[in-house]
Order: sequence, then structure tokens, then C-alpha cells
Amino acid sequence: MKPLALALALCASLPAQVKLPPYTREALPNGVVVYQMQRTGLPLVSFRVLIKGGVESEPAALAGLSSVTAALLERGTAQRTAAQFAEEIDGLGGTFNSTADEQSTVIAAEFLKKDFDRGIALVADAILHPAFPEEEVRKTLARRADAIKAMKDNPAAAINSYYRSFFFGSAHPYGRVPDEASMDRIRRDDIAGYHQRMYVGRNLIVIVAGDFDPAAAKARVAETFGAAPAGGAYAWVEDLPPAPGAAPRVLLIDKPDATQTYFIIAQPGVRRSTPDRVPLTLVNTLFGGRFTSMLNEELRINTGLTYGANARVEMARLTGGIAISTYTKTETTARAIDLSLEILKRLQEKGLTAEQLASAKAYLKGTFPPQRVQTADQIATVLGEMELFGLGHDEVDQFFSRVDAVTLQQANEVARRYYRVENPTFVLLGNASKIRDVAAKYAPKIVERSVKQPGWSGL
Amino acid sequence: MRTMIGALLLSSLLAAQDTRTHTLSNGMKVIVQEDHGIPNVAMYFFYRIGSRNERPGTTGLSHFFEHMMFNGAKKYGPKQFDKMMDNNGGNNNAYTSRDVTVYTDWFPSTALELMFDMEADRIRDLAFDPKIIESERGVVYSERRLSVDNSNGGMLSELANATAFLAHPYHWPVVGWPSDIESWTMDDLRAHWSMGYAPNNCVMVIVGDVHYDNVLELARKYLEPIPRHDPPPPVRTKEPEQQGERRVTLSKPAQLPIQMVLYHVPETNNPDTPVLELMATLLTRGQSSRLYKRLVDTEQLALSVGAFSGDSLDPAVFMFNIQPRSGVDPAATEKALFEELARLQAEEVPAGELRKAKNQILANLYRQLKTIEGRANLLGSYEIFHGDYAKLFTADKDIEAVTAADLQRVARRYFTPKNRTVATLVPERQEVKQ
Repeated sequence: MKPLALALALCASLPAQVKLPPYTREALPNGVVVYQMQRTGLPLVSFRVLIKGGVESEPAALAGLSSVTAALLERGTAQRTAAQFAEEIDGLGGTFNSTADEQSTVIAAEFLKKDFDRGIALVADAILHPAFPEEEVRKTLARRADAIKAMKDNPAAAINSYYRSFFFGSAHPYGRVPDEASMDRIRRDDIAGYHQRMYVGRNLIVIVAGDFDPAAAKARVAETFGAAPAGGAYAWVEDLPPAPGAAPRVLLIDKPDATQTYFIIAQPGVRRSTPDRVPLTLVNTLFGGRFTSMLNEELRINTGLTYGANARVEMARLTGGIAISTYTKTETTARAIDLSLEILKRLQEKGLTAEQLASAKAYLKGTFPPQRVQTADQIATVLGEMELFGLGHDEVDQFFSRVDAVTLQQANEVARRYYRVENPTFVLLGNASKIRDVAAKYAPKIVERSVKQPGWSGL
Repeated sequence: MRTMIGALLLSSLLAAQDTRTHTLSNGMKVIVQEDHGIPNVAMYFFYRIGSRNERPGTTGLSHFFEHMMFNGAKKYGPKQFDKMMDNNGGNNNAYTSRDVTVYTDWFPSTALELMFDMEADRIRDLAFDPKIIESERGVVYSERRLSVDNSNGGMLSELANATAFLAHPYHWPVVGWPSDIESWTMDDLRAHWSMGYAPNNCVMVIVGDVHYDNVLELARKYLEPIPRHDPPPPVRTKEPEQQGERRVTLSKPAQLPIQMVLYHVPETNNPDTPVLELMATLLTRGQSSRLYKRLVDTEQLALSVGAFSGDSLDPAVFMFNIQPRSGVDPAATEKALFEELARLQAEEVPAGELRKAKNQILANLYRQLKTIEGRANLLGSYEIFHGDYAKLFTADKDIEAVTAADLQRVARRYFTPKNRTVATLVPERQEVKQ
């Protein structure tokens, strides 16, 4: 084992803990929380604005309302038409992206340092004073309905929407996936009402990161975002943990021209604030989170059944799923599913070794700096998560020691608790005429629908 | 328009970062940029071998090697490359294009020597285990099923390129034709590896938490002893000039159509390249771009519109990629595109609009400099496709130099009906089961 000896020798000096650069946090009188983080080097400044709420704050019948509202911010304001706004952003070489996730609306914009004043004026105008012109609302909704259709031509993406709908169900905000019908129901008044209710001081987080003058930035933020109405703070919903099933469930989606089967095997997991986050991330790294993971090693490297197999642990504000995800040619569907279940069972029964845990620790620590603290906008993302989820700066500053502190016993306990083999939820997308019998093996009853039907619901 | 991004800024920024180079005695070029911002390193190997160096029967081999390079060599056996990287806090990827195969390693600086040792091992002594080759064939076929056979865009793009190129190797897909993936032989593999992975056919770029002298010392110890050998022979075939519009249709079940329009254009290292980059920007980048405004917004004909050319060593194509809305006849999106191209030929682009597009490109260049991996990729790409990494330092001047007259000249020269290929995916009628 010569290579191993060399590895140990080279492991001798591991990199030191990275730290968050200095930053400030203050609350304006109207409730807006402002972060500033200065970093020179490149003449760029990032604005990251979060509005609390996101998908969980949408009325049940109006799935997609938060992201539609976000998309319309740059389509006309009190001062600028959509065309003028676009001309100004592009003319500065700036970027402006607005989306919504499970718990927030996120606006990320970036400008050259010298354009700080114009940049923040544009960002604040879009976020605080959108006009939602009727014509723009209509066009955006129609385009989104078409984009939902187009997604069904892309099975690798579509299976995730089917999965969310089936796994969480329509009683859960994460299970209400935007579809043609919800786009059809949303009205301009819903959008304007949502904006008025949610885009208020008490729900806003403004992060300025990069190369800028802090005193001037403070003044500009106060003039713009400080003038927003304080409004009422959004009341977060109670957690709705998906219950472990009483029996396995299967959703089969028919795409007759598919030459491979895409599948997801899911079970209830955790929320972002779980105290198990670090040990669980270590376990999942080994199970399905990197190239040499148990899943990818077995399904890709050893057997050549797929180009890639992984597992993810959803970490949103509400409890999500732990999901195995891969694809294989139609003929090997059963073999790939059986193998996935076998690997899951092996983790549940045999757990991890000390050597595996040490490797996962090195991997998490080594990949952390380039992914989380390399650029000003990455750091802005970290600061936003800290505020949104109520985390401290030790989220970064103590990350390495938190990873190091996880014992093998803890990791194995977490593996046994979360990687269960009983009653999973299966979602299969492929040529149903060829895999219907395979699907029937995994549950007493299967739900079947066609990719040609509108919507995502399997119920 | 209004503000101009300082033209001298880019070169001063980049020059300050002190890029140093050295060519080893076996011909491998080493480019190093120190950056101690985070304790990590990006180490990129650019091999001048891609699908253009293949022939009928062996299409997809370069890409197959991108996979095989992770499957074991002499000192580090199967799975060891990835496992050792994981154990030391690193990760990696690789990509293959028509022209190059690139290996991208990211790791803590403490793993630098291990990386030199492992990279040298696989460049010098790659293993050819028949069992592993068979298994990897399955992986590559799965990748093809994912990115082509079950992807409408992937399938149409393959058909479009095969139609636009009749003679030149850009005719075939990087991933390879299915029957070739199924039938490569051991001899094909050995021959392809031996020509592609010559050290003199490679550029190594290292950006990050390293010291130049230390990098050179390690390069001399691990890489310099690998003997040089013959690189791939020159690609002789030149694509004959296209003599008339070509049209091709793909008919398959789909929710929405897709349309791709391709025009032959020169290789990257050609003075018209920055002009074409500006053209792509003012036509499709941002919500103020001409085609977005017209096709996506005002006339609501399309869900999206993009324009791409991409780096190439040989003359390639400039591709428009349009997703028409449901119920829209692709003839309508096509007509709108042609009218906009005709407008570029007939009228000079106003100064403000040209300024805007230049600002977009320059700001985007800065954005690519934010990360060590972004810089490693840019330095290597400029070295390969522009013939000298230092041309990156004057990229802003090349963009600044483009005039409205250049845009008009280039639009007239390339965007002609005779020079185009129109590929359309037409959804097959399908009954809906409720």
C-alpha cells in the first residue's frame, strides 16, 4: 500500500481554518438589516437583497407567486419602464438577477465600483417601487406557463418537479410546484398585494459586499432602503415534517420516447437549523455527495450503469427530503434501483469506518474555501444565510473545528437515524410500457401519469 | 453610451498579478499565477487533443480518454486518483471539446506535491485494463443518452453541426457516434493516448496559493522526466465554402420546438473574433439586447434566444439557439432573426449601443477573474486558442478597438443566406391522455 503511505505523509500539514473577513451588521429604524463587507482587489461591488418568505409564504392556490413577483421587479418601476431599466443595467455592464427559494426572495446584482450610486439606485427602485404594468404581468405569466411545458422536454429537470409534488403533497408549501394552472390563476392584484405585504423593512436584508466606500454606502443604503415602510414582519409557518410513509409509494411518469429511466428514491430528512447538520453533511458526502461516494462508486465506477449517481440532503427552513437520484438505460432500471437500495441498506447496517470519516472531513474542509469564501458575492451569500437562519459567524470561523469534532460514533448514529430502508418514496420517469412491471416491484400500488398531461401532481 | 469602462484597467489589474511561465525541456509549458487569497490551488492541464483529431470509427475517443484518465495508472491504481484527492481535500473535473481535453484539479495547497505525482503518473503510465474499459464504455454511453439521446437540444445541436460541416471533423459530436462508442478497440485507444498525451502537447496552468519557485521545482522533478513524443498530426481537412442554405428537420415528441441557425465563421485566433463577440452581446445578452427585446419581449415569439461561437482552432460556426413559444411557427422566429441580421448589415450600430455591449463584455471579463479557477481557465484558453496567454491582458483593448463599421462589415460577410444552416426540431403531434 505505497500510495496510502504517501497520502498520510502529505496529509501531515492541513490548511488552517479560514475566517470571515470583517463585516458590519446594523438595523435601520424601519427594520431593514444591513451588512457591509469590504474586499478590494477587483473593482466590483455586489448587492444581495433578501426578502423573507419565499415559497412557504405563497397562498396555496398561487404557487409561483414569489418568483413571478421577483421576475417582474425589473419589468417597470415608478420611475423607469422595463426597457429603460434594462438599458441602464446593461449599459453599466451590470447584472440583476431575482429569484425565490423556499424561504426568501433573492435579488443579486453586481456593478463596477465606480457605478455604486447608480447601481444601488437601480436595485432599490426595482425592489421598492415596481409598477407591475398589466401588460408585463400578462407576458411574464404566459412565458412561465410555456417554460413549465418546455421543462417536460428535459427529463433530468422535470423529475425534480414531479418528485417535489409527490413527496411533499399539496398540503405542504414545498409540494405546490408552479404549473400551467397556477400561472393562469395569478392576477396582477395578487402580485401587487404580495409585494406590498412582504417587501417591507421588517422583512428585508441588504448586503453590500466588494470594493466600495463604507461611509458613502451607509448613507446610500439609508436613503434608499431606509425609506421603505416598516410593515409587518412575516410570520414563519410551523414546520410540517413529511411523515415517514406507512408503505412504499411509487409515482411512474410515462415518457414513451425515453431511452433511459430517471429515478429518485426519497425519505424524510432535516431542516437547515438541525443540530445534525455537520455530521449529516459528512455522512452524505460519503454516501452520495462526491465522485467517490458509495452510490457513484457502485453505479458508475464499478458497474457502468450510469454517468452519475448522487444523494442530496435538502436543507431549507422546513424539513425536507433525503433523495437518491440517478438514471440508467431502460433495460437496467431494476438493477440500478436494486443496487441503490442495497447501498442504502449497507450504510444503515454497517455504518462508516474511521478512515472514511477522515476522508470526508478532509474533503469538506478542503472544498469549503473556494466554494464559500473566495469571492465577495460568495461571502454575501453566507452572510444572508446567517441572518435568515439565525446563525453566528462561527458558521465559517468555527467550521473546521466543528467538522473535526464529529466522532465516528456520532456519524454512525446519524447514518442509522436518517438513512432508513423502510417505505421510501420512488419517482420513476421513463418509457412506462417497458418499466411498469419493474415499478410494481417496489410498492403495493403505483400512481401513473403521462409527461404529456399538464401539471406535476401525481395525486 | 454614457460611461466607459477604463480601457487600461484590465491590463493593469492582470499585470499586477504577476504571471510567470517556463517551458520544460520536454516541451510542456508551465504558466503560474500566485494568489494567496484562499489556501487553495487551481491546477489545469490543457491537452491539444479533441474530437477534431479523430476519424470515422473512432469518434468520441478523446472524450473517452477524459474518462479513462481517472481509471488508474502505474503507481496510483484504479480509483486512486479520486480517492487520494478526496482524502486530501481536493476535487476535480475534466472536459473535452472539439479541440482540447482539459483536466481541472482544485485542492488545498498542502496537496500540491501529491497532485504533481499523480498527474505525472497518469500522463506517463496510464493503465489499459480491458474490464475497466468495458465498464467505462457503459458510463460514456449513459452520458450520451443524458446529453444527446434524451435531450432535445443536444440532439438538434448534433444534427445541426453534422449538417453545417460536411468534410471537417467538427462534423461529428464530441461524445462520439453511438456505434463508435460501442466498438473502439484496444489498439485505437493506445494510439490515441500516445499522440494526445505527449508533454509537448500540453500546457499546465497553476493559479492560487503557491510559490513559483516551488512549482518549478516540482514540475522539474515530476513532469520533466516524461519524454516528449509525436503530437497529433495536423488536421488536414478544410471545410469547403458553403454554397447555399442548408435546412434540416428533427421530428420527435416534444412540448415546444427548438431552432438553431448556424453561420460559418473563422477560428478564434482571427481579428474578427472580438467583432463577433460584440455581435453576440448586442443581439442576445441582457433584456435590452436586440433579439431578446424583439423575440422574447415585444413579439413574444420565443421563450429564449442565445448566440454562441465558442473557442476553436479551426474555422467554426456562430450559432443562434431559439426556443419558439408554444403555438408559434418556427418560420416566424426565423423571419424575425433574419430581419435583425439584415438590419445589422444595412445600418451602423448607434454609438450608445456599441458602448453598452463593450461595457457588458468588459465587466464580464472582470467577473471571470474573481476566482482562481476562472483565471486558470482564461489563461489556458488564451494560450491555446489565441496562441499566447498574454493576449488576455490586451483583450479589453481588442474589444475597445471594434468600430460600428467593423460590425457592419462582419455582419455582411458572414450572416448571408448562402452561409447558413437552419435546423428545426418540430414536435410530433401527440394525443393527450387525460
